[in-house]
Amino acid sequence: MSERDGLADGEIVRRILDGETHLFEVLIRRYRTEFARYATALVGDTDQAADAMQEAFIRAYRSLASCRDPQRVKAWFFRILTNQCHDQRAKLRREVSLNGQDATARDRADAGVERAELRAAITRALTQLTPEQREAFVLRHVDGKTYEEMAVLLDTGVDALKMRVYRARDALRQHLEHLHD
Amino acid sequence: MTEPRAFSSDGQRYLDGEPTETLAPAERASADRLTRAVTAYAANLRAPDARLDRVVMRRVLAEAGPTHGGAWRWLLAPRMVRVRPAVLAIAAAAVLLLWWVSARPAAAPLVPATAARVPDTVLVRFELSAPDAHEVSLAGSFNRWEAPGIPLRRSSVPGLWTVTVPLAVGEQQYLFLVDGNRWIPDPTAHAQVDDGFGRRNSVIVVGPRGVARS
Repeated sequence: MSERDGLADGEIVRRILDGETHLFEVLIRRYRTEFARYATALVGDTDQAADAMQEAFIRAYRSLASCRDPQRVKAWFFRILTNQCHDQRAKLRREVSLNGQDATARDRADAGVERAELRAAITRALTQLTPEQREAFVLRHVDGKTYEEMAVLLDTGVDALKMRVYRARDALRQHLEHLHD
Repeated sequence: MTEPRAFSSDGQRYLDGEPTETLAPAERASADRLTRAVTAYAANLRAPDARLDRVVMRRVLAEAGPTHGGAWRWLLAPRMVRVRPAVLAIAAAAVLLLWWVSARPAAAPLVPATAARVPDTVLVRFELSAPDAHEVSLAGSFNRWEAPGIPLRRSSVPGLWTVTVPLAVGEQQYLFLVDGNRWIPDPTAHAQVDDGFGRRNSVIVVGPRGVARS
């Protein structure tokens, strides 16, 4: 690990604003590693998730000076990324309705039937959740974050987050039961 | 008999990996089915890889330009500057002061001509009407948003708080901090921008020849 990889987020932001632009790469790597799965699950498509992450990073870079608390830049970026993912997803849905093929259909075509069925069921079920439920469920079950970690990222209380996850599970359960009916 | 659609609180705890005393076999099976499905989904998720880092960084470096220096970019970038008479007076005073310093005989080396023509800081007066406030301060990108920031003083006008600070040339974002716990944008700022947390920061643009701020 190089010296710059050990720098705290806040220190990196300060130095980028002082002109050390190359340090932004440390934040990109750090946050891409942490949030790439989240973005993919939220958008529902790998390529579209990559686009959303790219735009989120560029937006974050352009408005880095507006990050009021550099120590919390991760939560700040997470908010930008989440908004970008929702936008990207809305765009994807418009395209899907025009093209008549969705990501789950592609999944079914290129994988084992049972595994693809389960994956497709979850992908489909995730689309039925509210954006807040989807964010919470993905963080909890796809990323394996604790409720406390989620509370920091989403700036929301643990009880409210548990409720979102519970509702999401109930909705997904219904979806899976339909699959096995 | 049809199972209830919602998980019981025991079922939810089970899904969170907590010990549960009693959980009906049917609900346990349902929870296990959900866990298996999500595990299969997560295991097959193909997320963007390190190639993304390089693509983003190329774009960032292209935006930053060859100097990568924020202050230089602001100095060199063309921009429209609108000047308010009161602020112009302060800026003019600053320029006069610079002229006086550079014109008087001195043993020290002369300030380079280009630097004298392009002052890199301008004195800016901030005002906030807050009659009920006990204390008001100013924080922004110019002080790295460090609270409590720069304190404002009560002016002779009742309820009006003011402070004059030297600002570097470029765009700055700022807010007032009232009574140490309320962030308030400047109602007179020419622009407010999203801070990424759903709130708004005020914007001031300081140019080499004056200040844009309505």
